[in-house]
Amino acid sequence: MQARGRCWKFGDNIPTDMIVRTDMIFKPWPEILKHVLETCNPEFPANVKPGDIVVTGKHFGQSSGRAIAAKAMKQTKIGCIVAEGFARTFYRNGFEIGLPILECPGITEHVSDGDVLSVDVESGKIVNETTGYELQAKPTPPFLLDMLKAGGLIPMAERLAGERS
Amino acid sequence: MNMIEKILARASGRKAVAPDDVVVANVDCLLLHDLSGYLTGRVFEKEVRRPMRYPERVVMIFDHHFCPPSEEGALVLQENRAFARRHGINLFDCGNGNTHHVAVRNGFIRPGTVVVGSDSHTPIHGTVGCFATGLGNDSHAGTVMPFGKAWFKVPETIQVRLTGTHRPGVTPRDAALWLTGQIGEGGAIYKSLEFSGPYIEQLDFWDRWLFPHIVVDLGAKCGYIEPDEKTLAFVRTVTDKPFDAVRGDADRKFEATWEWDFSALEPQVTCPPTVGNVKQVDEVIGAPIQWAELGGHGGGRIEDFRLAARILKGRRVHRDARFNLVPSSRAVFTQAVREGLVELLHEAGATWFPPSTGSNQAYNMGAMTANEAMISTHARNFPGRNGNPNAKMYLASALTVAASAVAGKIADPRQFLKEF
Repeated sequence: MQARGRCWKFGDNIPTDMIVRTDMIFKPWPEILKHVLETCNPEFPANVKPGDIVVTGKHFGQSSGRAIAAKAMKQTKIGCIVAEGFARTFYRNGFEIGLPILECPGITEHVSDGDVLSVDVESGKIVNETTGYELQAKPTPPFLLDMLKAGGLIPMAERLAGERS
Repeated sequence: MNMIEKILARASGRKAVAPDDVVVANVDCLLLHDLSGYLTGRVFEKEVRRPMRYPERVVMIFDHHFCPPSEEGALVLQENRAFARRHGINLFDCGNGNTHHVAVRNGFIRPGTVVVGSDSHTPIHGTVGCFATGLGNDSHAGTVMPFGKAWFKVPETIQVRLTGTHRPGVTPRDAALWLTGQIGEGGAIYKSLEFSGPYIEQLDFWDRWLFPHIVVDLGAKCGYIEPDEKTLAFVRTVTDKPFDAVRGDADRKFEATWEWDFSALEPQVTCPPTVGNVKQVDEVIGAPIQWAELGGHGGGRIEDFRLAARILKGRRVHRDARFNLVPSSRAVFTQAVREGLVELLHEAGATWFPPSTGSNQAYNMGAMTANEAMISTHARNFPGRNGNPNAKMYLASALTVAASAVAGKIADPRQFLKEF
């Protein structure tokens, strides 16, 4: 699982309410996507491109546990999210819906908006191609990598519940 | 093992579990509300397409709406009712109260059980002696509804030992807000927090409730208070069903012990834009507010209305402020009627709203313009939850909320209390 794209950088403690505003959650995806993270950076929903990489500070995705915030990030077709850290519900939802995410303390010091990053999701190796700087993300537990490879929780649910070997 | 480890071991058929183990555990109760219940229902019917294994364990509570103000809202509720009927799950329709209060008061939450929910404040049920945590839609739809199970990583546990007695004018909510500022947003990521100590022991059930309430915004997976005689006596008032309460071993180990004393605490106000921005009331006195509200997961308790009545007795809500009162359950409203609080607060100019979660996320009430501010007992103040993202939300005790409603701006409640 590889991702390569331009970096969009965000701050610490961004709540799900700022990823998808609460008055948006029943709107159709095209409408939601026009506003994803717009309170943090109005350029993001307008200009995010498939494969781009979102880099955030600590505790990304706090507040609501609704998977819609993670799903909206996946719908933008970004390659992955690399964060200093995630809120646990966002972290769990990311793997459950098949969105590649990595925790990499120190990442925000070494990347800037617009840098080109390449990320190996499995090994956690991150290269800032613009500066040449390399970082190593925290290892992802094998159980969660399996879930990501399966495409999320639902495709592996029977196996997980012990109802299919 | 501690309480959480014992519950997870029992629910996953193991003799013992330790931090970092990944277990698949049986789930005793799944709580859904009208917003994420709808989203979960769609995943279950469109992507999972299996029967509901244990419909009696699933509870849907409409609390963000009490009477939909738009066709969009009405359609969401219509779909939710049809979903509940199709699958035979428990449904509490508009007007019953806040999701967590309704679940507890109807006996769905029993000590020693595993409780999950689509609301991120589900860890609040650690007050009852449960392992309770918030999961996402896909866990609920993908494994809880079809198989009655969910996966969990066993968390490390931190002991939060609390002592001290409050000064007059300071309440357990001030202590909980202050603690949020001390530990900080994301200050306990993935941890389990055991609240204990003489301070916790002397609190009644609904004041203890305010502590597991905060853990999600600290980043924790769960929080709990070991069930004692007070807990068990409370639970027996809401259910006849049997339960098997669990307490940790006396020699249980903690990753850390954090200790605080509340003896010198002043009234606290959480300021925009996030829950970690907690200040002493004297730093924000005079900040303008147009709205004040008692309600939400931690608010709308009978205790909150009693505190507000202490401030409002013989006074009126300021002409430039509006004071919303939102009971957390029908039982609380009945009690408020019996105690004369409904009339007293109504005559003082406050407005009673139906039992619900009130202005939490502004689905049925509580939208603000960019220029408006509210002070409330709600759990959160993040931008984007109450209308314009520039609207301000302050969080405080019922005393401070009521005092601010009287002053038309943020006020120290002690100026209105007779003993000062």
